[in-house]
Amino acid sequence: MKKKIGVYVCHCGGNISDHVDIEKVKAAVRDEADVYLVKNTLFACADSSQKEIGSDIENEHLDAIVVASCSPKLHLNTFRGVAQRAGLNPYNYVQVNIREQSSWAHSDNKTGATEKAILLVKAGIAKAKESEALQSLKIPAANVVAVIGAGVGGMKTAIGLADMGTEVYLIEKDFFVGGRTPQWGTVSPNGDEGAILTEKLYKEVVRRPNITLFTGAELVEKSGSIGNFDLKIALRPRFVSGNPSTEAMQRAAEACPVAVKDDFNFGLTNRRAFMLPAQGQFPQVPAIDQSACTRCGECTAACHEVDLTQEVQTITLHVGAFVVNTGFDPYQPAQGEYGYGELDNVITLPQFRRLMEMNESELVFNGKKIKKIAYIYCVGSRQDDDEGNTYCSRYCCTATSLTAVLAKKKFGNIINFHFNRGIRTYGKHELVYEAASKQGDIFLQFSLKSIPQIEKRGNKTYVKVKDILTAGKELETEADLIVLVTGMVPRKNELLAQQLKIPTGRDHFFNEIHMKLRPVETVIDGVLIAGTCQSPKNILETVNSSMAAAAKINSVLTKGELSLEPTLAKVNPAACDWCDNCSKACPFDAILQTEINGKKVARVNESNCKGCGMCTPVCPTDAIDLAGYTNAQVESMIDALAEA
Amino acid sequence: MEIQQETCINESLYDVLVIGAGIAGEESALKLADMGYRVLLVEKEPSIGGKMILLSKVFPTLDCAACITTPKVSETARHPNITILTLTEVEEIVRDTKNRFSVTLKKKPRYVVEKDCTGCQECEKACPAIVNDQFQFNLTARKAVYIPFTIANPRVALIDIDNCLLCGACEKACPSNCIDFTQKEEQLKITAKSVIVSTGFKLFDPIQIERYGFGRYKNVITSMQMERQLAPTRPFNNILRPSDGKVPDKIAYVFCAGSRDHTVGNPICSQVCCMYSTKQAQLLMGALPMADVSLYYINIRAFGKGFDEFYEQAKDMGAKYVKGKIASITEKENGNLILRYEDIATGKVTEKEHDLVVLSVGILANPGITRVFKKERLETDALNYIRQTDLLQSPAITSIEGVFAAGTATAPMDIPDTIMSAGAAATETSSYLARLS
Ligand SMILES: Cc1cc2nc3c(=O)[nH]c(=O)nc-3n(C[C@H](O)[C@H](O)[C@H](O)COP(=O)(O)OP(=O)(O)OC[C@H]3O[C@@H](n4cnc5c(N)ncnc54)[C@H](O)[C@@H]3O)c2cc1C
Ligand SMILES: Cc1cc2nc3c(=O)[nH]c(=O)nc-3n(C[C@H](O)[C@H](O)[C@H](O)COP(=O)(O)OP(=O)(O)OC[C@H]3O[C@@H](n4cnc5c(N)ncnc54)[C@H](O)[C@@H]3O)c2cc1C
Ligand code: SF4
Ligand code: SF4
Ligand code: SF4
Ligand code: SF4
Repeated sequence: MKKKIGVYVCHCGGNISDHVDIEKVKAAVRDEADVYLVKNTLFACADSSQKEIGSDIENEHLDAIVVASCSPKLHLNTFRGVAQRAGLNPYNYVQVNIREQSSWAHSDNKTGATEKAILLVKAGIAKAKESEALQSLKIPAANVVAVIGAGVGGMKTAIGLADMGTEVYLIEKDFFVGGRTPQWGTVSPNGDEGAILTEKLYKEVVRRPNITLFTGAELVEKSGSIGNFDLKIALRPRFVSGNPSTEAMQRAAEACPVAVKDDFNFGLTNRRAFMLPAQGQFPQVPAIDQSACTRCGECTAACHEVDLTQEVQTITLHVGAFVVNTGFDPYQPAQGEYGYGELDNVITLPQFRRLMEMNESELVFNGKKIKKIAYIYCVGSRQDDDEGNTYCSRYCCTATSLTAVLAKKKFGNIINFHFNRGIRTYGKHELVYEAASKQGDIFLQFSLKSIPQIEKRGNKTYVKVKDILTAGKELETEADLIVLVTGMVPRKNELLAQQLKIPTGRDHFFNEIHMKLRPVETVIDGVLIAGTCQSPKNILETVNSSMAAAAKINSVLTKGELSLEPTLAKVNPAACDWCDNCSKACPFDAILQTEINGKKVARVNESNCKGCGMCTPVCPTDAIDLAGYTNAQVESMIDALAEA
Repeated sequence: MEIQQETCINESLYDVLVIGAGIAGEESALKLADMGYRVLLVEKEPSIGGKMILLSKVFPTLDCAACITTPKVSETARHPNITILTLTEVEEIVRDTKNRFSVTLKKKPRYVVEKDCTGCQECEKACPAIVNDQFQFNLTARKAVYIPFTIANPRVALIDIDNCLLCGACEKACPSNCIDFTQKEEQLKITAKSVIVSTGFKLFDPIQIERYGFGRYKNVITSMQMERQLAPTRPFNNILRPSDGKVPDKIAYVFCAGSRDHTVGNPICSQVCCMYSTKQAQLLMGALPMADVSLYYINIRAFGKGFDEFYEQAKDMGAKYVKGKIASITEKENGNLILRYEDIATGKVTEKEHDLVVLSVGILANPGITRVFKKERLETDALNYIRQTDLLQSPAITSIEGVFAAGTATAPMDIPDTIMSAGAAATETSSYLARLS
């Protein structure tokens, strides 16, 4: 059938026209069969151009359109929308990428870039000629979200979703919610207490009937796709049932003979295998650390709620989407990095914050009174390419300035030395830096090429640096305590990353789909990321991103149904001999065997099919075809390209 | 204020009134509209898109700003649940007896019938009155009748009546007969169940810092002017310095202009200028391969995802970062500029000549909107940003119940942080609306 095709070639405001001769492209395709009109646009995506294309479709009764512009990643949906609004089936639209593939790739060669653009547009026209109208499928979608991780971020995601009418399963791996925030005491920028913040949020979570909280819980299996995921969650036993009294908890912990390093205090103290919740951790119900517990039973006598017979339980859930809020870990310095693990007065900033919380009015570490503190910034951040983390951890300049102010306020006679690489107290955080400077703190600056040297002479420790701020002068100071300002790294979460297939960046944080405009979505439909698992953030930024993820996914699921892309595999049963090649090739288990008139043939489960096209090339009889990318379309495109 | 009944031309109820259609306002409006709420988006300028639509590329991805923002703009413009009013300001917001907000709006006349204008620009050609183009930050001129910029939305002409000679040339030239000098300012009354304030930021005006000579020395420009020169919809086809149209080859950036400075009343850091200057330096080195670009800074705030790597990349490309505060700028006869500064690396006061100086101007609060709230006070913080009364738990909540804040109306921030803040405001608003019903 003959079609009337409209072709639009975009300048992209110079992004294309600087390196591709638009007039030549237009002239070269004008006489292609079925091409009815050819136009150029300054920005095809601008509203005025969209209107023009729309009215051409309506007035000229076009049967297909081709827009030669940027990557379909950017604008496929934009122009599908234009077609749809003008009454043309969106799948009669073809996007040709002459920006990334011609202009930008060959910016040194205008002739070549133009020739390539012409061929690409011709191939696009060939595809448009063979294009068919396709109808998208509607499927029911569960307005239910699994939120993974219950730090401040996860709790805010859950509360936001619940208040908008979405049902939430809040899944926390630890036995307590709260994440890292309760570990810090006073937090910036407004002097709130971390533990009080998590207490407020926990109360909000349990108050809402449409949030179900699981602690000690981990996602172990996932299948399905957006709108309809099926999950298996493993619930580790807490070994404590009910709500023991504070005294009983205390007695049981004292009775427990097994001591291990306390993670909450970053190993500065020990705790028992019978774990008590810290301030700001919830629920305030103890739990037994299975990996440390020897099952000696001492605690059972002290606390009747202990039940050592509990076992791992597995539950199944059905959800429409995920929001991943799995947070961060502080960077763990290597043995010997600035004396860490070798000198007895070198600790990390997270450890120092716990030390400050544990000391009442006098600052003492390892039995020694602390007066002079040297903070060494950017430990585990802003490293060289080959060494590791090239990124800045964002929170730490502010957190260290605040720490110095809090330390002086609480313990009085403190002198703070900040060995930094340029203070990054961005935005309103500048005021914290100002407060630290005003109280007389000393700031010295080093570069990666000449990092501070730590030396023990006798029982004294010295830090030496070439100070950029005093024209590179070599300065030395004595310090009672050295605090390594460790950056943020994402939590180790291989199982989760593997289950959800979330891509990570070079920095190992989860990667968003578009850094500027879609910071909480990923390339996996129905899997969103928020908080510090996406990049370092402070609490405010974590909360904003979490609530943004809530808004995004609620707006998708709230209608209770989704439309599926109609670009799905289709089987022609007459040609199919059930060789099983396609079902083996399909990565999404979308091909099933069925019987038609006694003949075994393949059948496509449409809600599983992603339209990846893995099945079509392996079929020996060409019985399976992909709508929107049919063999006929692809062959005609190849013909157009080969014409040169 | 008494509202006269006859001037009320429209009385309707919206779920949300969003004030300010920058990227923050668009994002909040879209999220709420996608959830099914009816949104009225009010913008005082003739076109939506805020500052972002005028930028060149964006750090650190170097995506073309126009390319990534126009889809958002058109999605907003054609969303069935969003009504947009441009050239409109809010006059008064007052809570009524039903716990809703009664809102009085003032819509300025365009003097062009919006629905009939085709954007053909015949009127611009005919108009004899020439004035500075504010959308090119005065780098070039426009006519009194004009389309704000190529990718404006709506792409419709308007008449700047203060500069119009009333000659009627456009009226004769317009093929669609849509010039209408009889249009009057209209007052509209609407009711909204909730309000989002997304009125964005103001740019620091460097005329306040006399020692930089902005306004006196032609070749001292602002970063926003440079942003326009680098944009795809740029006024010239090259980078030119204003005094003589020469292509500059020794360009200087002065960081923290109007930020981190108690003497101008803005003690905080503007959060984006280190990075946008680094971006401009990279674009300049691409456009003018022979040019020398020096950046005079105090500290580099390259803190976000991909930022430090972007800063390192600029250094690798040849950008010269000089740690030193600029004490003064003086002009030579040929228009070149002498920068005097303390070079921290050597500890010596040094002078250096450049032929173009770009001031990395800071971001300031834009608190004017607080005045329209009557009976209840929309509070601001010590820096004049909208006060976030429950900062760490619910950052979008303000001092007035049912009024929320998004984007740079609350603090300086870049585009992704603005998107997230706007998303948070949408969740907060939607939760509030659900509680109301
Ligand atoms: C020393 C220090 C001081 C700080 N000071 C401040 C300050 O003053 N002000 C400020 O704003 N910010 C501060 N921060 C930053 C603040 O701690 C973070 O912004 C905040 O904790 C991030 O919250 P989150 O929810 O993203 O992550 P987290 O707090 O890390 O919570 C993540 C949660 O997810 C859970 N989880 C992880 N993996 C899984 C899984 N697979 N399944 C289920 N659950 C999982 C974890 O157990 C945890 O409960 C500081 C950080 C540090 C290191
Ligand atoms: C020179 C420069 C370069 C930059 N480059 C980058 C970059 O590369 N990458 C990046 O991420 N960020 C960049 N930024 C920052 C970016 O511009 C902001 O993050 C973003 O524009 C903030 O959006 P917003 O919607 O909050 O505010 P705005 O863009 O200011 O929008 C506010 C809107 O509200 C309208 N308005 C104001 N008052 C009223 C009222 N009373 N009634 C009705 N409407 C009103 C305004 O007209 C405007 O349209 C740059 C900033 C500058 C100055
Ligand atoms: S925030 Fe400061 S301490 Fe942390 S990595 Fe960045 S520059 Fe270093
Ligand atoms: S297109 Fe991909 S997902 Fe669909 S059936 Fe074929 S191989 Fe499976
Ligand atoms: S007002 Fe008339 S002449 Fe001017 S752009 Fe609009 S249609 Fe064209
Ligand atoms: S972002 Fe950079 S230039 Fe801007 S105020 Fe902060 S330190 Fe100064």
